[in-house]
Amino acid sequence: MTGWPVLSILTWAPFASALLIMGFGRSRPGFVRWTALLGTAVSMVCALWLYANYDLAAAGFQFYEELPLVPSMGITYQLAIDGMSLVMVLLTAIIILAGVFASWTVKTRDQEFYALLLLLVTGVFGVFVSLDLFVFFLFYEIAVLPMYLLIGIWGSSGEVRPQGVFGWAFGRTGVGTKEYAAMKLTLYLLFGSAFILVGMLALYVAAGSTSFSLLALEAVEFDPGLQSWVFLAFYIGFGILAAIFPFHTWSPDGHASAPTAVSMLHAGVLMKLGAYGVVRLGMGLLPEATQQWAWLVGTIACINIVYGALSAMAQKDLKYVIAYSSVSHMGIVMLGAATLTESGLNGAVFQMFAHGIMTGLFFALVGLVYEKAHSRDIFSMGGFATMMPGIAVAFTIGGLSSLGLPATAGFVAEFLTFLGAWSSAHSWWLFPAVIGAFLTSLYVLRVVRAIFWGPKSTNPHFQNLPDAQGTEWVAIVILVGALVLFGVLPGLALTPIDVSTVPLLMRLGVL
Amino acid sequence: MDPSWPLMIEGWLFALLLVVFVLGLLRRQANDALAGWITLAGLVGISVAAWNAEPGRVALEGTFVLDELSLFGKRLFLVASVLSVLATQAMTHASFRRRGTEYYVAFLASLLGMLVLASARDLIVLFVAFELMSIPLYFLTGFLKGDKAAPEGAMKFFLVGSISSAVILYGLSFVYGAAGTTDMSAIPPLVATANPLMLLGLALMLGGLGFKIAAVPFHMWVPDTYEAANTPFVAWISIAPKTAGFLAIFRLYVEGVGEGAVLWVPIVSVLAGVTIVAGNLMAIPQSNIKRLLAYSGVAHIGYLLLGLAAMSVSGVGMVLFYLVAYLFGNMGAFFVVQAVAASEGSDEIEKYQGLARRSPVLALSLLLFLLSLGGIPFMAGFWAKLFIFWAVVEQGMYWLAFLGAVLTVVALYYYLVVARRMYIEAPTNPAPIPVPAVLMVAIGGCVAGILIMGVYPEPWVRAFMRVAMTLFSTI
Repeated sequence: MTGWPVLSILTWAPFASALLIMGFGRSRPGFVRWTALLGTAVSMVCALWLYANYDLAAAGFQFYEELPLVPSMGITYQLAIDGMSLVMVLLTAIIILAGVFASWTVKTRDQEFYALLLLLVTGVFGVFVSLDLFVFFLFYEIAVLPMYLLIGIWGSSGEVRPQGVFGWAFGRTGVGTKEYAAMKLTLYLLFGSAFILVGMLALYVAAGSTSFSLLALEAVEFDPGLQSWVFLAFYIGFGILAAIFPFHTWSPDGHASAPTAVSMLHAGVLMKLGAYGVVRLGMGLLPEATQQWAWLVGTIACINIVYGALSAMAQKDLKYVIAYSSVSHMGIVMLGAATLTESGLNGAVFQMFAHGIMTGLFFALVGLVYEKAHSRDIFSMGGFATMMPGIAVAFTIGGLSSLGLPATAGFVAEFLTFLGAWSSAHSWWLFPAVIGAFLTSLYVLRVVRAIFWGPKSTNPHFQNLPDAQGTEWVAIVILVGALVLFGVLPGLALTPIDVSTVPLLMRLGVL
Repeated sequence: MDPSWPLMIEGWLFALLLVVFVLGLLRRQANDALAGWITLAGLVGISVAAWNAEPGRVALEGTFVLDELSLFGKRLFLVASVLSVLATQAMTHASFRRRGTEYYVAFLASLLGMLVLASARDLIVLFVAFELMSIPLYFLTGFLKGDKAAPEGAMKFFLVGSISSAVILYGLSFVYGAAGTTDMSAIPPLVATANPLMLLGLALMLGGLGFKIAAVPFHMWVPDTYEAANTPFVAWISIAPKTAGFLAIFRLYVEGVGEGAVLWVPIVSVLAGVTIVAGNLMAIPQSNIKRLLAYSGVAHIGYLLLGLAAMSVSGVGMVLFYLVAYLFGNMGAFFVVQAVAASEGSDEIEKYQGLARRSPVLALSLLLFLLSLGGIPFMAGFWAKLFIFWAVVEQGMYWLAFLGAVLTVVALYYYLVVARRMYIEAPTNPAPIPVPAVLMVAIGGCVAGILIMGVYPEPWVRAFMRVAMTLFSTI
């Protein structure tokens, strides 16, 4: 299989099935689902094959593919992955496979839904595998746009209407409705991409306008003044996607309004794309600026951790709790990266992976609960564990991973990050991080207790609800399995991560 | 006619114009469809001739050149005209049945002006060509004279257009005073020495040209004109006369000037920045899709000026790319508007509710056009914007690129509002919208254009860069 363009197959297989679905899927729901499954399964197989064949001893970028796209401007369709992107590709493959199962029950306009979902995934895969900055940006935009329609058409508007001044804002703008959330998310992310684009072009021109390739740009030593502002442009641009404070507000709205599979993919993978961008482009290309701005990145990450956790505690809507927990957990990712230590950066990348799986699981389960109980209001539900034990157990495992219990993937990630924070130049970062972890256990356990294990609700709507069924199990099993597997054997992901973070840190001169 | 004669394209067009004119004289009744088809066939033939024409020849003692830039302009005008005439065949308005030949004669006369203008290397020829282009446009805007809005739009357009012509002429007199000749090749040396009379003249002309291309603050006529005129014609004036304006700007301010062109950078950048911001912001509250596209068109002119502000080979090359991308995206959008208006009887954005479920193909086409205009990957408009930003960043004008990039987000907002109507909201009337075959062909052509340029831009970039190079090499 060595002669095969595996990365291209991985990236374009979902796109091909999207085309098939658009072409032949009209009022054939079975065909739509199986084609989508086939496309994502091909990607999954490719991802596993890549994982098995990635040469850890050689490290660096492997499975190189190249095709000139716009030679006169030095734009090349150039793909390759290193350890970090390998793990991200694996994460994406897992989440979308589970996502296809989780959306098996989508009834309205299923043809368009699956086609857009698969288009979105093509963009996500493309970002992780592309080496050319420009192709990277192209895929990035593809990953953003379908979101508008996915949330706008298939999303759900929040039940808990805002009060007070927010109530007034609701009347003016429709805060909390799916249309509002979809537009807000799209505009925020596109706004971010404007920063990224200008930063990229500035680097390209400064390097002599010959190539957009990451490898070529890595070799250039940019002027510190240029580095400084380009880093900030990348940080804001990608940071919006990674939900850094104060640009995080699109994320709770967007994730709460999105349909299940889209929330899974967005919170699980797309937000990581932002962090990945900061690490890959910001830290990878601009070493001096990284040193210069690490304090800012880390401090804002601390705000994210604590503020996200506090906000999650205040929510009454289940989806908003999960969405704010993502804001908090993305803070841990950014904090790990900002420590500029080996354990911190490894923890950050591992947290991307772990949180991706975990939050994917959460949104899948919330989707199921909503489908059965038609409610997202935490405090009206109660005692669901007796009716839906499977969902309850899975949710609890996810919750325990979220608060960092040993033997789950979340523990490994948080532990490494905290270690990095303590040994970094700003050891005080450890305290907000630990406070965040503490607050996380509060809000997670509170939700788990209120909905599943606490006293049974007397509301007649919530009697005799079914547990997960059929294909729904598949999604849950895949995600819980991954969460526990990587918690027990973190080396599976940490080894490839480590071979890519070490060279990066060496270039930064901190190792 | 001798195929190597530099005026061959104009000659054929003039012949076509006479044929349509005589046809109108001979058969006053029931000749509408025939005139349209003859015009269409003639334009297709002339386009083929324009594609086979070789650049690099001069006629009429140097006042008329057939170089790379003029060929680019002529081809663009012809493609836009073919698409527009194709869409006009789908017009069922009574005026087109009764007075169709009048429409085509005026249309061809205006086109003839554009073709000559693309080749003009003499100030007088330039001005006469400009007027030949503009005067039929005023008439065509008011063509549907029974409509309430048409005379008003035409009048406004006429007044603004005449004033801008006067301003251009006034500036031209200074240029002539400084140079002592109407030959444009006399301009660069005087710009290089910063002759005040010459600069004053050129600055005045830039204001006049600003009216023609509808840069802010000279854009007021655009929305009213677009709203008043018939849609295939609006599709055409949204691109063809604007391109003509840019060609004139290239000839006057860029060609042969070399380093001296840097002089215009501050004024053009300010004009570009203001146009982008104002155009995009004013598009937001529009509820009529033609007015929305009018304001978004103003914003696009801002992006084109941004490319001009770079005053470099890549800047000019990318403006050319942008013009072609804009042609397909914008004309296509107007054609969809025409189809919807023919069925719904209104240009209000409300009427697009649930279009995706009524006519999926039409809705998808409009979505693609809007995304291309908004600059989304794999559409022509994406590369166009990107190339413009690249050219600007290359000159170190980061803030301008940044401003442009941020305001594309605003543009996407109002394009997405239309997308929301089409895709998210449910239709009030589920019947599909009938689209005449000719209009479908025109829309299909535009979709093909944005996708081909979007997926594989390389050959286009190369060709346009070559054209731009000639502007900077010939002194």
